[in-house]
Amino acid sequence: MTAAIPVIRQTAALAWRSIVTTIRLPQAWFPALFFPLVLMAIFTASFGGAPGTIPGFPPMRSFLDFAVSGAIIQGVLIGGTSAGAAFATDIEGGFFDRLVASPTSRTSILTGRLGASIALGVGQALLFIAIAAIFGARVDGGLIGIIVVVVIATLFAAAVGGLGIFLALRTGSGEAVQGMFPLFFALLFFSSAFFPLDTMVGWYHDVAALNPITYLVESMRREIIGGATIWTALTGIGIALGLALITVGASALALRRRLRVSA
Amino acid sequence: MSDQAVETRDLVREYKGGVKAVDGVSLTVESGGIFGFLGPNGAGKSTMVRMLTTLLRPTSGTAIVAGHDVMKEPGVVRRRIGVALQDAAIDPYMTGRELLRLQGVLHGMKRADCRARADVLLGRVDLENAADRRVGTYSGGMRRRLDLALSLVHEPVVLFLDEPTTGLDPVSRVTLWDEVRRLNVEHGTTVFLTTQYLEEADQLADRVAIIDGGLIVADGTPKALKARIGYPLLSVVAADGSTPDDVARVLSGFGEMVPGARDGGAAVRLPGGSTAMADAVRALDDAGVRFAEIDLAEPTLDDVFLASTGRHLAGSDDATV
Repeated sequence: MTAAIPVIRQTAALAWRSIVTTIRLPQAWFPALFFPLVLMAIFTASFGGAPGTIPGFPPMRSFLDFAVSGAIIQGVLIGGTSAGAAFATDIEGGFFDRLVASPTSRTSILTGRLGASIALGVGQALLFIAIAAIFGARVDGGLIGIIVVVVIATLFAAAVGGLGIFLALRTGSGEAVQGMFPLFFALLFFSSAFFPLDTMVGWYHDVAALNPITYLVESMRREIIGGATIWTALTGIGIALGLALITVGASALALRRRLRVSA
Repeated sequence: MSDQAVETRDLVREYKGGVKAVDGVSLTVESGGIFGFLGPNGAGKSTMVRMLTTLLRPTSGTAIVAGHDVMKEPGVVRRRIGVALQDAAIDPYMTGRELLRLQGVLHGMKRADCRARADVLLGRVDLENAADRRVGTYSGGMRRRLDLALSLVHEPVVLFLDEPTTGLDPVSRVTLWDEVRRLNVEHGTTVFLTTQYLEEADQLADRVAIIDGGLIVADGTPKALKARIGYPLLSVVAADGSTPDDVARVLSGFGEMVPGARDGGAAVRLPGGSTAMADAVRALDDAGVRFAEIDLAEPTLDDVFLASTGRHLAGSDDATV
């Protein structure tokens, strides 16, 4: 397995580089932390009295507990979009060419960027849980609950990262990838990320019920507010895994296509 | 292993819409020299480099680089070449040292080797003091030098530099030239560089090929190319009662006259070069022809370009409009 060692080292080195450049560029990570936390705070303040008074809310200790999962998903989505845009900038700027013209394994070009997205996604999930905990949130499922939440966040980070890489490879334009962000944001609002499915009405409800993000959020949320079962955990993990397989597979094909067209 | 650093045969790259950026180039670059690939913007220089560095698949034809076929063994070629592409973006948020070490890992070097190699290269391109600063704070010349160092991490056999000094100020340009020359002389690295600057090709390259419209229009040593244009031009301006005709009568004995080349005097192509110039001056004296100005101009690569394409090359001093 000596052939695998360079790939692992190259993946680690490229992931490290992506993480370092993200951390050193505040506009790359600030929105991914700021917006979810602000929305979490605003919704918690606005709807703090909703559980128990407005029908459709599940039983919960506080609205903050309810809001954490949505914030994690939102943060991963914003972070993944920036990562995709950064990858596209690598293509535009010539870093990608430098990699391709060197013996760098083609796999690690992909896994390096994905690894960074996953690492940042996990860090973000843990940070959000910790911040929410400071303000009184609790994870009902305990350590196992936290693990389930982090696993789903990890897989979702891979899924969003894969999508970002796919878009970057197909458009080759950082602006084009960043331009997809409003669409992703709409996708988030057409889900149960911020409010329960049962309070929604009409076609909005139907769309949200079809949105896979709804099931990721629900699965994480159960772990936090209570009512989780093996089944709810596996549903979330399974859907996140499915999404990740689809987008990472698509990005691998897009990389092969780009290398075939050019090289 | 052949002694050729680069050998292409009928290399063609056609883009969508049938535009042939490179239209049948057969080129041989011997190992050990500095090869200058000269041409205006859009002539096909970058397309050529991208094919030779495995970044772009040729539409047809073959290319052997550092002894290996770019289509059949791209992986081997990549291990043996260094590449510094035009306007290559270097992460502004990383330091020079970090980027060099990263490049070492990507080339499969051991951690300790990466560190040692980074230190050596930082010294060589004179960036030791800036090594731990983020690249975003570097000047244009410093970036190009770092870019050069990055392409040298794995001690490549053939180094490709795509317009390495475009956009640099004259001082930074000369510094980079010195670096490239040193690399070639001290380390024996073959350098394949593209440029749109005549002076760069003239100063740096021991062999030049001129590309225009995807075709090689001239190929040889700068000296031979210029010699093909003709002999140096001797211009003499008449003075103090002598007429241009008097000057012309004497000069016509030394070579082919170039009519209208000089106001108030005459000009001749001198096959004998600068030695013949002394004879010409003596002949003018003996004939009692008085003259005010005398000037011997060597042909330039722009003359070569002009003769080959009917146009001046942008960036040449004579051609500035």
